[in-house]
Amino acid sequence: MNFAAPFLLTLKLATITTLFLFVLGIPFAYWLAFSKLRLKFIVESVTALPLVLPPTVLGFYILMAIGANGFAGRWYAGVFHKTLAFSFQGLVVGSFIYNLPFAIRPFQLAFIGVDKKLLEASWSLGRSKFYTFLFVIFPLSRQGIITGCILSFAHCVGEFGVVLMIGGNIPGVTRVASVAIYDEVQALNYGTANIYAAILLAFSFIILTIVYFINRRFFMRMF
Amino acid sequence: MLKVSIKKTWKEFRLKADFEIPHEKITALFGPSGSGKSSILRLISGLERADSGMIHKGEEVWYDESKTINIPPQRRSVGFVFQDFALFPHLTVERNVTYGIKEKKRLKEAKDLLSLAGLSGYERYYPAQLSGGQKQRVALIRALARRPDILLLDEPLSALDWETRRQLQEDLKRIIKQLQITTLYVTHDVTEVYKLADYVIVLESGKVIKRGTPEEIFMGRRLSTRIQIVGKVVDVESDSIMAAVTVMHEDQYFKTLIDTEEVRRLNLVIGDDVVIGAKSSDVILCKVLTETQDVLNNIQQIA
Repeated sequence: MNFAAPFLLTLKLATITTLFLFVLGIPFAYWLAFSKLRLKFIVESVTALPLVLPPTVLGFYILMAIGANGFAGRWYAGVFHKTLAFSFQGLVVGSFIYNLPFAIRPFQLAFIGVDKKLLEASWSLGRSKFYTFLFVIFPLSRQGIITGCILSFAHCVGEFGVVLMIGGNIPGVTRVASVAIYDEVQALNYGTANIYAAILLAFSFIILTIVYFINRRFFMRMF
Repeated sequence: MLKVSIKKTWKEFRLKADFEIPHEKITALFGPSGSGKSSILRLISGLERADSGMIHKGEEVWYDESKTINIPPQRRSVGFVFQDFALFPHLTVERNVTYGIKEKKRLKEAKDLLSLAGLSGYERYYPAQLSGGQKQRVALIRALARRPDILLLDEPLSALDWETRRQLQEDLKRIIKQLQITTLYVTHDVTEVYKLADYVIVLESGKVIKRGTPEEIFMGRRLSTRIQIVGKVVDVESDSIMAAVTVMHEDQYFKTLIDTEEVRRLNLVIGDDVVIGAKSSDVILCKVLTETQDVLNNIQQIA
């Protein structure tokens, strides 16, 4: 049980994060894809920051924000009477931000890739933008949406720096697989660390194989 | 009746169009490519907004810049048929056609329209499984299925081969006439104008330069002749060099000889509308002697 706990926690974190990314990321990506706002590129670069920032930098700022003195932390404590830092919920917030570009970018590319004529055809047939999204854009963006979800799920499984910064290493609460490996190595338990590492390696490989299999071209366009 | 009076400037192109299109008639918007034809359709349908002017559909105001009225495309009752069909690739023919239908009773009508267009049995096909001509029929029926007040066709046949195009011209005319729908048809093909349109608006570099019936617009301009008769081809007999073409005008027949090559070039077939012209230098004029019974025997030749 103790052996499996970090993995279960990792899967739980990855699943919840991906779910949030799906629900909140799709409208956000829609806005990024179709907004005519001139300063959109600023929002885009902010969203892409986690791709280039060291996870520790990102983790540090998130910790500041969700800590007892941070604005998000104070708000959360006021509403739920709990602290957000060093909790599972805090990890979800961190993972969400950290994985944003991995979900948003494929979503956005897929939405932009839908032939504009089809949207115009839908509007001229009297259908609202929302209906058009549900019945034209969304089904035609399936591949991109699946790719975004799988990528962010896999990336979430592998994250370390952000998690360690904002979650620490509390067994059953914030001790995910990647942190557990680090912990085992520190305790000189190379055998256990090796098993954890091998499982993560195999897992990542399988996920990437699936993504490439679903749409190789799409994946290439992203990087 | 649709009244359009709009101005719009793109980077290097100025469009200034004032025209009306008659109720329940087919109006062709004719002009070379780049003359602004498609842009006018986009402005009427609300997919783009003009810089100034107004678009009235009967009593309804669709667009009026001075009153800052701009009804979105969803609320303008138009059916738009795109040049490259724009069918939803992930939906079946049936779902494509019923996509814009909100009332249940219209669903049945959509099925009838499909059979009117010769597409019964194709309901479960996907667009990728259809030929070009079938795709354009589906696009037409999709646009018509929710019974729009105005049908807008943006060079609907230009992506098709000649044979399919001919067949579709017939079908288009039949379907549109049957439904009696006000239609604006963008084309740069004179034959198509003759075949389909009741009324023509000629556009050049963003301006309306002529309007009238196809006869008024095109006759005398392309043929420098004194005598012109418009009729339908009823017979073509050709050998390798010459062809005898019989044309019917009202209840009279005219037979003329032309190059077989010309027949081929014009794609002249039975049913085509043609103009027979003759120069004034070589014409026989006769006076009909009305006092006798047998007219033909009493012609006095004077030339």
